[in-house]
Amino acid sequence: MATFERASPALKEILLRIYNAEKPIEVDHHLYEFGSVEYYIKSSASEPFTYLSISTPLLSQGVFLSYGLSPYTLQMVRDISIDALDIVEPPTDGYQLTLRLDFSKLPHDKESLKIITEVSSVQAVILSSQLKEMLQNVNSWDISQGMYKPIKLIYHPREPFYVIRQPQKIVAVFPMRFKDHSDVIIATSFFQELMDVGSSGKWAKVPHCNWSPIPPPELIGEPFEDLSTNGGFVSFDISSHHVEGKRLDKTVWSLLNFYAYVKHHVKCTRGFIQRRMRRRMDSLVQVLEKSMIEENGEIKKIKGWKKMKKWMRLTSKSKMIKRRYHDFRKKMKRIRFRIKIHGFARFRRRWLTMPNFSSSMGYTQLKNNN
Amino acid sequence: MANPLKLYLTCIRNTLEAAMCLQNFPCQEVERHNKPEVELKTSPELLLNPVLICRNEAEKCLIETSINSLRISLKVKQADELENILAKKFLRFLSMRAEAFQVLRRKPVQGYDISFLITNYHCEEMQKQKLIDFIVQFMEDIDKEISELKMSVSTRGRLVASEFLKQFL
Repeated sequence: MATFERASPALKEILLRIYNAEKPIEVDHHLYEFGSVEYYIKSSASEPFTYLSISTPLLSQGVFLSYGLSPYTLQMVRDISIDALDIVEPPTDGYQLTLRLDFSKLPHDKESLKIITEVSSVQAVILSSQLKEMLQNVNSWDISQGMYKPIKLIYHPREPFYVIRQPQKIVAVFPMRFKDHSDVIIATSFFQELMDVGSSGKWAKVPHCNWSPIPPPELIGEPFEDLSTNGGFVSFDISSHHVEGKRLDKTVWSLLNFYAYVKHHVKCTRGFIQRRMRRRMDSLVQVLEKSMIEENGEIKKIKGWKKMKKWMRLTSKSKMIKRRYHDFRKKMKRIRFRIKIHGFARFRRRWLTMPNFSSSMGYTQLKNNN
Repeated sequence: MANPLKLYLTCIRNTLEAAMCLQNFPCQEVERHNKPEVELKTSPELLLNPVLICRNEAEKCLIETSINSLRISLKVKQADELENILAKKFLRFLSMRAEAFQVLRRKPVQGYDISFLITNYHCEEMQKQKLIDFIVQFMEDIDKEISELKMSVSTRGRLVASEFLKQFL
């Protein structure tokens, strides 16, 4: 579904809780994700096993429903952990797959966390194994099949994509739809960059990418509602080189998450545009505010500010000199009075200072009473 | 091609210097009301002839003057769809925050991307030359910002495309 993480976070948390519990615990959880994926986890104190059932809409509904999951898919699931995981036949009612987990057989180190994470990503394993099966048969195209009919795959309910087999390659076509017109423009710009980058010499080994506003001719005959888009059609040519060895898993996961990747990029670009606009607006407002403040200063200066300024300068200088003198006196007193008694300074000021007998106005002559 | 832009901006500056002679004028229709006459347009004797300065078909500036107010409407250059949406988004963003600019109009005049409304009160609070400088600077900054945004969006797209294609290597 629309996520880059393969493991389900909620499922992982529950499995870790069961694994880390000192004693076997009772667990009976139903988990729903993305509206259509359902997990059922059951663990009881009396039994050493934990049962995990999964129900997920498959990529291609046509063939697989009749026969259940393909042997290739089941093998991929078993390969997660041969010791601790076993597939239960038949699966629980209403589910496509039921797994029996034996946590006692898990190693007691970091490897156990890795295995639990892979078990939590079983839904991604099921879906990607179906696409892997298709892509692995790139070179084994049977000429007797005649016309290559596109196979419709649904990873996200409203966003199907097509896989079309051709000689020596498989083409994956993504019809792109967006809700907002500005999203369409941003995405279109991205698709053009994707084409430009993919066609450069440095990226010769990557699948050839093409974008067109109209459906490709391979999709002629498909339902109209699937072909009506506002973002055009993006197609990737997958050759045998891209599905060799470890590249198969990466290729499959990249294709399954292409929609999510594009939507994430569009969302991040919108956020980036918003941040830039906000910053630019702040700088424009500052220009206007500065001009207003400067304007007020200038008007005051023009109205006879010069004389006031001179006088202010003079008075402030004498005040500064007085302040400095007082500070110097205080410092000298502090040095002279070496013995410090707390509160003595206040006492001295109040009771021990000599009164000032001289008066600036004049003096009062005492009358002689002889 | 900085010269055509410079000529365009000089022409706008000179027109604004001539047009920005505003004085207080109470409303003739309603007593004790004081309204910007350029918005109401009820008394033709209080309105001057509007001046339209066109740089090309896509860029133009309309200056409408009245006795106590002046309205400047700008149409910004939009070469392609991406510039179109970026200009629309940015100018709408600014218009919605018009109170921060004081002289900006919340809704642009029809047919234009952004509008300013300058009244005699603004001329009393701000210096005329500084105001004209702000308008001209604003026009330059808008063009520059839209070009930079377009380049940034393209650069981001290129980087993201490279990262996506790396997964296939």
